[in-house]
Amino acid sequence: MNLAPDSFASRRDTLAFVVCLILSFAARLAPPVVQETAAAAIGRTILAPFLFLQEQSQVIKASRGRYAQVIGLRDSVLVRALATTGLEEENDRLRGLLGLSSRLRVRHVSAEVLHQSSPASGLVALLSAGADAGVTPKSPVVAEQGLVGVVQTAGADRSVALLWTHPDFRVSAMTRDGSVFGIVAPRGSEGPNTMLLELRGVPYQQDVAPGTVVYTSGLGGRSGVYPRGIPIGTVLAVGDEQEGWARTYVVRPAVHPAAVGHVIVLTGTTVDVGDLFAGDMR
Amino acid sequence: MIIVQERYRMAAVVLLLTVLHFLLRPFLGDVRGSPDLLLLALLVFAIRARPGQAAIGGFVVGLLVDALTPVAFGAGALAHTVVGYLAAWGKALFFAENVIVSAGFFFVGTWVRDALVLVVGRHMDQSALFWQLAIWSPVKALTTAIAGVIVLLLFRRWLHIRVVT
Repeated sequence: MNLAPDSFASRRDTLAFVVCLILSFAARLAPPVVQETAAAAIGRTILAPFLFLQEQSQVIKASRGRYAQVIGLRDSVLVRALATTGLEEENDRLRGLLGLSSRLRVRHVSAEVLHQSSPASGLVALLSAGADAGVTPKSPVVAEQGLVGVVQTAGADRSVALLWTHPDFRVSAMTRDGSVFGIVAPRGSEGPNTMLLELRGVPYQQDVAPGTVVYTSGLGGRSGVYPRGIPIGTVLAVGDEQEGWARTYVVRPAVHPAAVGHVIVLTGTTVDVGDLFAGDMR
Repeated sequence: MIIVQERYRMAAVVLLLTVLHFLLRPFLGDVRGSPDLLLLALLVFAIRARPGQAAIGGFVVGLLVDALTPVAFGAGALAHTVVGYLAAWGKALFFAENVIVSAGFFFVGTWVRDALVLVVGRHMDQSALFWQLAIWSPVKALTTAIAGVIVLLLFRRWLHIRVVT
């Protein structure tokens, strides 16, 4: 390094700057596959030790903060588990009598959210679990309160999730009783701390009252992305109206991604997961 | 010999800031307003580097940021390249020994980086962009500036920077 605290740019400096600019534009305009490959390669090599540090740091913080909560949760799960064995046996017997196949299991992977400082970090999140743990692209990402996003790319030990705040995010949604369906998409920002969603395409004659909770509909069957029953948010008010045709409702999201430190990636997604969000679907 | 020693010291400070950036991230509160130590490492490097070197440093840091937040790959590289180059080019004009001016140098560098990433990335709607640049980026720039002043005060002998408080 040439120490030059007070000198202006020479021709060589300008050339280096221009070359870096050209390379930056090339990276920006490269096909998504190339961008993803480059990002994954950098993440696997140069960034790997630093991300390992951050992951450990995140685990330490989460462990301290959640210890009492986890103990309480464990006890309540234990109590419920005691009653589950009998129910499972009864369920299997009834399914056998009716000739139904066994119920599909929900598989999941726990992951820490490795928050980054980029101003775009509110749109995507780096997760501490990847393909080695069973995470695949298009796996839904949920937190305790509801839907967070969907896995976009999965490397060996890290994955990138597209959060619901991203302009490209869409999810098929329904109300609790399944009477109203629509598509949920990000609505934008109503303030420095208020990102909202909107429920689009609800038929004009169907009214959704404020306070109604909106869930993933599970439409799409086995090829769908989101299983049925994940809370997305709560309807606040009517947003826009296409007279006599459809309404758009403003939805307050169930989860704010910036506040989430730990998430669950669902990898067996063709089942109804309403039961996982205690009380919400009842 | 002295120049080699200074290079090692600068490398040590940059490496320390990079490690702290990842190690302290979970403890620094809301990510939208917490200090960006990786960008700070670039700005500290730019204080003592030639503009071309700072541009290359910025490009490398930008690629790392893009890999960490792959929402608009290349936008971070472009923004950090520009900020690194301008920081090194303009330090004779803007960087002074006064601690307030130094804080301003870090503040402006952080805010301009955020603005460039968001404008070049084009991934935010107008309302979100407004709140980010009007509220969150200034908060982040402020916390980064405070962290930058602390770093300068702690390492002024190593970096051969006179800081008048």
